[in-house]
Amino acid sequence: MEQAQQAKTTAVKGTDTAREVRALVKNIYRSAHEAKANGQKVAYMMVASQYDEILRAMDVVPLPTENYAGLCAAKRDMDRFLLKAEADGYSQVLCSYARIGLGFDSLRKDLGHIPEGSPDGGMPVPDMMLGSSAVCDPRFKWYQAASRYLEVPTYGIDVVAPPPQDDLNAVRDYYIQYQRDQLKGLIGFLEAQTGKKMDPDRLWEAIRLGDKAWQLWYDIDRLRVAIPCPMPSQDHFSIMVAGHYYSGTQIAVDFYQKLYDEVKYKVDHKIGVIPDEKHRILYGGGLPPWHTLWIFNYFESFGAVFVIENVYRGYDPVEVPSHVKDPVDFLAWRAFLRFTRYHEKARARSGNPIVEKLLDMIADYKIDGVVFHACRSCRATTIGQTHMKSELGKYSDLPMMQLVSDMVDLRDYSEAQWKAQIGAFIEALEARGK
Amino acid sequence: MPFAGIDIGSTMTKVVVLDEEEKILASHIGPTGAEHRHLALKVMDETIKKAGLSFDALSFVVATGYGRINVPFADKQITEITCHARGIRFLFPAARTIIDIGGQDSKGIKLDADGKVANFVMNDKCAAGTGRFLEVISETLGINLTDMGDLALSADGFVQISNMCTVFAEHEVTSRLAEGAGVAEIVAGLHEAIASRVVNMTRHLGIEKDVVVTGGGAKNKGLVKAIEGKVGFPVFTPPEPFITGALGAALVGKDFYDRGIRPAKERKKEGVTFFS
Repeated sequence: MEQAQQAKTTAVKGTDTAREVRALVKNIYRSAHEAKANGQKVAYMMVASQYDEILRAMDVVPLPTENYAGLCAAKRDMDRFLLKAEADGYSQVLCSYARIGLGFDSLRKDLGHIPEGSPDGGMPVPDMMLGSSAVCDPRFKWYQAASRYLEVPTYGIDVVAPPPQDDLNAVRDYYIQYQRDQLKGLIGFLEAQTGKKMDPDRLWEAIRLGDKAWQLWYDIDRLRVAIPCPMPSQDHFSIMVAGHYYSGTQIAVDFYQKLYDEVKYKVDHKIGVIPDEKHRILYGGGLPPWHTLWIFNYFESFGAVFVIENVYRGYDPVEVPSHVKDPVDFLAWRAFLRFTRYHEKARARSGNPIVEKLLDMIADYKIDGVVFHACRSCRATTIGQTHMKSELGKYSDLPMMQLVSDMVDLRDYSEAQWKAQIGAFIEALEARGK
Repeated sequence: MPFAGIDIGSTMTKVVVLDEEEKILASHIGPTGAEHRHLALKVMDETIKKAGLSFDALSFVVATGYGRINVPFADKQITEITCHARGIRFLFPAARTIIDIGGQDSKGIKLDADGKVANFVMNDKCAAGTGRFLEVISETLGINLTDMGDLALSADGFVQISNMCTVFAEHEVTSRLAEGAGVAEIVAGLHEAIASRVVNMTRHLGIEKDVVVTGGGAKNKGLVKAIEGKVGFPVFTPPEPFITGALGAALVGKDFYDRGIRPAKERKKEGVTFFS
């Protein structure tokens, strides 16, 4: 019941390797500008679209518009882009990532140049836009809308997963065939834009690097079962940059190897995020509040550490059957296996793959409480979150809390309300005798 | 060995003083308000005086409510969720669900079998579902806030109020009046809307008997009846709903004391500052 805010919380905190992410982020936008100057093709792209390695194999430089929105929020320089999109008629309930992207594109078009002082030099005009249905519907439509401001070709790829109640043996072939066709369609589009054929050997190499990086990322997260936890969620939200924006490169592999070594050292020497870890928290879902990441330090001031997350590292490593010899087939298989990882468990119990995943995390990471973040403008991660929380409550009696704001739009955030909720949540954890 | 709890809410400051047998020696309610912040100490003084005690005689003082953060004379600050839970459980040992309707926010609190907070939910960042919503509309209608509940109970049915944004609801009420709707039916509609909002919010936790409605909203009979209509069974209200948070705070202070915890620092008998 007693909530004692610890006086000092800066003793250990995050990893040194995570601090290198800032340079990786800067490099994304610098590389895009350099590529444009050198005549190399640059593409607006989105995370989790299952096409990362294809872009790398075809020398298309990725320009991640969602990351740029998060960057603007972290720099607290998002209002001018949000307001511009809203002035152009985009509703405040539309994905705020999309609003920042559209506002940026709109402003850049009006000005005839990149808006002055844009974070990390801003985004250059891309040569193409690669939308995706993975995760949510605005990602499929966003670049279509951006065509109002950009006269560049757009290609949308469908990324599919069967519902959990399906018999995987019955639907597998169909889903993989469909995904393969989608990826091949994208490759055909990229070949037309770049004027060169895709090299399967280069794609295999990018896949090898991509899988190696994601395996290392998974291994790092497994190290975080240690008590005290060696790496906080704040780092997770940074280090995902390597997995999502450098996938298929040696850079991502080297980064995660270095991080793995550091986290392993911390585990071996029992170095935790904070000296006195009292409560282990699961970040149950929702995009992070990029505008207010210090809130995690606020939790830590009460001895509560976020030790694992249900966001960004959206899938564990999977084993594609050895009979798959074509790299595009491999990507289709891999996508199917990634997305159906918890389906069998769900069919056997809750019916909800995410609930099963959270229950595994609660057990493996010795979780004391769960915090969700409902982002007003993110339909993908917020619709159904309350239901999921209730379902989880059927199998776990841990204290749970849902904070509400947005991933980047500060207008949806109330510090006073969050602190009131967090105070009560900490008291609920304390009351459980921890 | 007396214990005090002070609940500084958005509109009212409440103080309860208990003895070691958990008997209420005195309670007092005063306004909060921006211009009345210094009155928190005055409410405290009034209560102590009523109890026939001196300030120094208090064994433990716990502050709660949204103004709890900087109360110089408090030994601990505890959230209103924990304090309401403790206070309600003291008054209603079978309580499992609490609906607290305050001046500026509303909360649903789920208690486990031992009376501990199992889960909670708070209202959205707007006035809908709070006392402030009714207060604004009562001003629009020119009716005393304290008369709103009885007026709702006298209504023959209710007029649907669809807007929960306070400003839009105000417009909607004006439009309904212009259309000829009865004031009582409009007020009943407002109570239905608030009840719907807070009960739906609390359903996120799973509503279990006994349900207790507390906070200033519990003094409104029309609202309590509307809530009963939504949950489908009778609910309980404390004899003095305003003070359950302060009562809980005093009990929490006694809990601390009983566990051997003593005030860590010297109390400063100064006015309350809301923000550090």
